[in-house]
Amino acid sequence: MWSFSHIANEMHEGLSATFNPTMTLIIEMVIAGVAVIGLFAGLGLVLVIMERKVSAWMQIRLGPNRVGPKGMLQSLADTLKLIVKEGLTPNGADKFLFNLAPFIAMIVAMLLMAPIAFARDFQLWDLNIGVLYVSAVSSIMVISILMAGWASNNKYSLMGAMRSGAQIVSYELSAGLSILAIVVLTGSLSLSDIIHSQADGWWIFKGHIPVLIAFVTFIIAVTAETNRAPFDLAEAESELTAGFHTEYSGMKFALFFLAEYVNVFIVCAIGATLFLGGWMPFHIGNWQGFNHVMDYIPSSLWFFGKTFFLIFVIMWFRWTFPRLRIDQLLNLEWKYLLPISMFNLLLVTLMAIMGWHF
Amino acid sequence: MNVTQILFWFLSVLALFGALMVVTSKNPVHSVLWLIATFFSISGHYILLNAQFLAIVNIIVYAGAIMVLFLFVIMLMNLNKTTEPKKNRWLKLAGGVAGGCLLLVFIAALKSSEITQQTAEVKTGDIGLIKNLGRELFSTYVVPFEISSILFLSAMVGAVVIGKKE
Amino acid sequence: MNALILSAVLGVIMMFSGVMLKQKSAVRNIAITGLFLLLVVNILEMSGMSFFRINTAGMMHFDRFSLLFNCIVFFSTFVYLLLSARDIEKTGNYYAEYFTLIFFILCGVILVSSFQSLLILFLGIEIISIPLYILTGSDKKNLKSNEASLKYFLLGAFSTGLMLMGIALIYGSVGSFSTAQINMTEKPGALMIAGMILLLFSMSFKVSAAPFHFWTPDVYDGAPTVFTSFMATIVKVAAFIAFIRLFGEAFGNLQPQWQIWIALITAATLFIGNITAVFQQSVKRMLAYSSIAQAGFMLLSLYAMNADAKEGLLLYSAAYSLATIGIFAVLIKMNDYTFDGFNGLAKYQPLLAATTTIFLLSLAGIPLTAGFISKFYMLKAAVATGRHLWLVIFAVLMAAVSVYYYFRVIQAMYFKEGQPGIITTSPVFKYTLVVLAALIIILGIFPNLLLNWYYF
Repeated sequence: MWSFSHIANEMHEGLSATFNPTMTLIIEMVIAGVAVIGLFAGLGLVLVIMERKVSAWMQIRLGPNRVGPKGMLQSLADTLKLIVKEGLTPNGADKFLFNLAPFIAMIVAMLLMAPIAFARDFQLWDLNIGVLYVSAVSSIMVISILMAGWASNNKYSLMGAMRSGAQIVSYELSAGLSILAIVVLTGSLSLSDIIHSQADGWWIFKGHIPVLIAFVTFIIAVTAETNRAPFDLAEAESELTAGFHTEYSGMKFALFFLAEYVNVFIVCAIGATLFLGGWMPFHIGNWQGFNHVMDYIPSSLWFFGKTFFLIFVIMWFRWTFPRLRIDQLLNLEWKYLLPISMFNLLLVTLMAIMGWHF
Repeated sequence: MNVTQILFWFLSVLALFGALMVVTSKNPVHSVLWLIATFFSISGHYILLNAQFLAIVNIIVYAGAIMVLFLFVIMLMNLNKTTEPKKNRWLKLAGGVAGGCLLLVFIAALKSSEITQQTAEVKTGDIGLIKNLGRELFSTYVVPFEISSILFLSAMVGAVVIGKKE
Repeated sequence: MNALILSAVLGVIMMFSGVMLKQKSAVRNIAITGLFLLLVVNILEMSGMSFFRINTAGMMHFDRFSLLFNCIVFFSTFVYLLLSARDIEKTGNYYAEYFTLIFFILCGVILVSSFQSLLILFLGIEIISIPLYILTGSDKKNLKSNEASLKYFLLGAFSTGLMLMGIALIYGSVGSFSTAQINMTEKPGALMIAGMILLLFSMSFKVSAAPFHFWTPDVYDGAPTVFTSFMATIVKVAAFIAFIRLFGEAFGNLQPQWQIWIALITAATLFIGNITAVFQQSVKRMLAYSSIAQAGFMLLSLYAMNADAKEGLLLYSAAYSLATIGIFAVLIKMNDYTFDGFNGLAKYQPLLAATTTIFLLSLAGIPLTAGFISKFYMLKAAVATGRHLWLVIFAVLMAAVSVYYYFRVIQAMYFKEGQPGIITTSPVFKYTLVVLAALIIILGIFPNLLLNWYYF
């Protein structure tokens, strides 16, 4: 069976044979870093073209169709344009912070890659509090946005950053609470434990309605956390030109852009891991035959399939719902989502204690 | 010097430098950002002590939530160098002397205490892991833990009383 | 434990009563009934009927001292609500929330009166402080109230920081939060001494002892008068209980080291409180300084730290709280807070003037009042230590100074002509005042009525 784990193992053995352990570790780290950056670039290209194609499809038009077959190389051309464009720094800006902000956005997005399991036995860092790690690091994202907005010395940027700050800090709560629902059911914060607990069915099927509610709140909350429509108040182009990245151009803008898409990928990957079993194939209880058939589909395919399905859902939101006002946005979180997810967490806890899930 | 020691010195220097920059930065926004850097290096120390849960919670609570609110307020108020109030030089001197004395007392106390002979449990201690921490919190320390809910409730009631329009 | 849980629950009940009930009087009556219940369950616990068996892992201990003190606090709050509950409602729109916060503060008071662990002490002090910051700023349209709240919050947060630092240092050197463990340390290291000094500073701040008193006049003056009354009495004596428990139980063996410091702080507090109070023009501000001066007297118990001191502190907290609550209750009804505002009060409101006179006499420490006997206990305790007799003499001198500013109010009421603007008072208010005045005199003649509870 073709799997990432074989490649990783063979690489590890090959390196161990020629180098001492410390060197092996360093080389492996370098390889992992390069792989993450490569994945980043790849994801950026794929997700941008996907967004454009999906939006075109939703609006019954063609979308990009000039560069490459069916316009598939469009985002590559865009990247080329952004690379050769001059990166301007406004005169009144806080130069250092202005230039630092996009890199922080990028670093945060890269750090988030660490605990994600892309395939069976294929995980950079399986730490025992993976879920908390993800929520902690993703909460740093907002600092880069605030930094960018403030350092630009532009009122639109500042407004966008403020909105984004309020939004991310508040939606983090219900995202965290819905993640906790799964943690309570699994009894572990480690992502690999959570995946293994779904060997006899994904949580979304095993956990009855409370987990479904948690899933829905999670999706809504992460859509808001990644500043995507209908919650894209941070960059609402009709009101704030482009929000916190109004003043950015060239590669620095591209980094923000890339970080946003990578964040979408990451939250969807987390959602897929927690609720849809990550790389775990579709299993039903102890139907051995059926489960074996499912195991023939490679685990990486399962993972990417689920993740891209969720990404598609989030893109679907963008082209379906109109943008909210800031007060509506905060009302939705504090008056509806947060109480619902708190109550839901209580229900899930009851369910976990009584053993009512499958 | 092994990797752990190098990391320890690096993090310590970063923490101290960050803390100094918090105090000396003219721009409040820079101060807050340096404070975030300091929190990160403290989290790094926690990880060195194998207290991963504490490290992560430190980041979530301080760097991710409290400092963001700080940044939020400072940015909205648009504080910068020109709005910094002029302080009396004598006051500054008095503050410096008082702070210096406190530092001196602490250093002296630390030097004379037995702590210097003890070594930190690097990578072996397991009290900072979430399982042990949770067990302690819900057995020995359950009474203070539950009582702190009164504290939070009163803070919440207070926030509503102060914040809501009349 | 009874009272702790009940007061937390009552706080939540008050919170919801504000939403459910439309009538202000219903909310008020719930609060008063709740306090009465609190008093009852606390007395039940004193007689051995504890409804909850909770293993606190040695972090709290409800002995007679703390239970009796809680009784005094609940009774004072009960009287306070009877006298001033209507005025609490007038402060702002959130009358139910104010009662909620008061009940939460009582939770904190219970914690600090019965802690055996520094963790609980910290929680208790915080639970007392945070609602107080809010209550200070509850008159939102008044700039002075806002300023007082902010000032109180900033300084309070700073002193809490010092306290945490001290606790951390002590934990670092002892390895335990338990007061008994800390007291058992054979050779206290420099870290522990540094921690103790930090705790001494922060607790001095909380009881507004000089030189950590600077916040007191501004905050007491700026806060709505009803809440000043609460802050200056119940909260202050609670902080004293925490102080005496902390230094008696955690640092009892270090007494020779800190006694001289406390003596100096006491002298400074007595001096600054009394001398500055003489120069005040507003009765409210005078009472703020008088509370500092009274804190100086209460510090004597800390200085002495013997059996007399504990009895004396109980008596003092009762005498001081009741008298000050009474004066503030009258003050709230006045339109003008200056001394001249009291001119001729005796002519128009003889009952109010008479009761106020009794309260003032008690505060000044005139014989036959509770204030006298409690001051007497304090001085007796201080003499019993056999050292630093100058402190006792100084305290008596300062008590004599205090007579001047208390009598200025009496002089204004009885011997000056004027038309005091006063808000009409209800019969219940008057009856309560009379009962309070009677109580102060009874306590002054038979202090054992209270102290017997300590032993039996």
